[in-house]
Amino acid sequence: MEAIKLQLANRTLLKHSAPQWKRAPLRHVALRGTDPEEQPSPYIRAIWSGKRVGVVRTLSVQAAHNRQNLFFRLEWPDPTHNPDYGDGLVFPDAAAVLFPGDGDPPLARMGSPAAVIDAWYWRANRDGGESLMFHGFATEQPKAVQFVVTSADWEDGRWRLVIGGPLEAATDRKRVAFAVWEGSNQERAGLHSYSPQWQELSIG
Amino acid sequence: MVFDLNKCMGCQTCSVGCKTLWTRDEGQEYQWWCTVNTLPGRGHPRDWEAMGGGYSNDVPQAGRRPARREWGGGWDFNYDEVLRSGKAQDVHLQVLGEQPEWGPNWDEDQGAGEYPNSYFFYLPRLCNHCTKPACVEACPRGAMSKREEDGIVLRDDKSCRGYQFCLEACPYKKIYFNFAREVSEHCILCYPRLEQHVAPSCVRQCPGRAVWFGFLDDESGPVHKLVKKWEIALPLHPEFETEPNVFYIPPILPARLTEANDFDESRPRVPTEYLESLFGPRVRPALETLSREMETTRSGGKSELMDTLIAYWWKDMFKPFDQDPGEIEWSRTAGEQPGKRAG
Repeated sequence: MEAIKLQLANRTLLKHSAPQWKRAPLRHVALRGTDPEEQPSPYIRAIWSGKRVGVVRTLSVQAAHNRQNLFFRLEWPDPTHNPDYGDGLVFPDAAAVLFPGDGDPPLARMGSPAAVIDAWYWRANRDGGESLMFHGFATEQPKAVQFVVTSADWEDGRWRLVIGGPLEAATDRKRVAFAVWEGSNQERAGLHSYSPQWQELSIG
Repeated sequence: MVFDLNKCMGCQTCSVGCKTLWTRDEGQEYQWWCTVNTLPGRGHPRDWEAMGGGYSNDVPQAGRRPARREWGGGWDFNYDEVLRSGKAQDVHLQVLGEQPEWGPNWDEDQGAGEYPNSYFFYLPRLCNHCTKPACVEACPRGAMSKREEDGIVLRDDKSCRGYQFCLEACPYKKIYFNFAREVSEHCILCYPRLEQHVAPSCVRQCPGRAVWFGFLDDESGPVHKLVKKWEIALPLHPEFETEPNVFYIPPILPARLTEANDFDESRPRVPTEYLESLFGPRVRPALETLSREMETTRSGGKSELMDTLIAYWWKDMFKPFDQDPGEIEWSRTAGEQPGKRAG
């Protein structure tokens, strides 16, 4: 995956509709659902066994930077718009760009204590994003320094989302992956879809 | 904790005591950690008994979260219009916006049965601080725990991310989601009071002397005697297998009346089958014990059980948590220890 250089203001790159995004190569990333049997609580394992986790199975990704900041433009089909908790029966849709903290973190378990994952996380009910660290399913902790910016719109059955953060936070990682939580399918914590392989990230 | 359903008069002082103390912040408007509902009734949240959770043969059972409209409550009223606009003669107090279809204590005093043999009673409910808490096991982040020293089920606010598996797993639906802070919240059994030997608010506020509080294994205390010795205090829905630590003495109610307005003691006013559906098969022996002991006192005898239920000495109902909260200088700052009020 290549992040091309677009010498544009941050606020322009944060717009998913900015015409300059057409210049960034488009990658279609296949996603799969996490394994209910690997979930950390006996309740979740028992209740989700045999159920479909990770209903979002395809993600279109573009990446660009302006030397200071790196932006990912994510787009995926989602017929059910979940901007919040609704009447309490759904969860807000969410997505994250993942970076290996160190070593070779297992994406199928959202990292491990020995190999953590850094995430730039977006949730549909919140302005802005979160910098999180995972060392397994549902283990996320906010990082000491918060720097993630996001902008998202849902229209015509599709989410269009831009997640950005400082380029230097991503350049030494060299690899990237993605995760999506579909709120209408009760996806939260370790129940989500993810790209099963780390993708090489080159900064153009 | 033991509630005597023969003495609870549905006054809601426990509910309001709790509400006043713990759930007055943003996102808690609809939360009532302690509620009193009329039974038979649909309860709060509406039809909670059919929402699943708990265990069956030790296997976690799927549960669902109540919808916000099934809780109801937290409404805004037209106070300004009624009290300050000079229209008090023309408008009545009402909920603003979407009209509610349910709320806490919604079906108050409806009950069941036909006059003159209709029946109802009140059921106070709070977190059961279960011995086998399904919420603790459900949380994927380990945010819920059962405190070693006293068994109180607590949630680590810093660790909670609002994923609500605890709400699903709790078969009593006594956990609330705070939509403003995006965390789950539930009764903390007034642990800051307990640490100062003060009984929980719902216990100490009860004007009907209907609730006892103490350690279940304190053999000299009334809770142990009511639950273990006389076996008249029973957990609600034991079939959920979470082993609640809140117990109820089943209600007897006055005798039925015949068409000629004579007492009909051939069967109880509250069908025993209904009480069994709430408290399990131990209801019958519990009611037999109660009837026997009542008969003893009626015929001039002495009954330790009846003396306990009458509760002659208020503070004996919750020893050793009988410290007067008015004598303590409380602090709202986390981590700061309360002290004794001077003078």
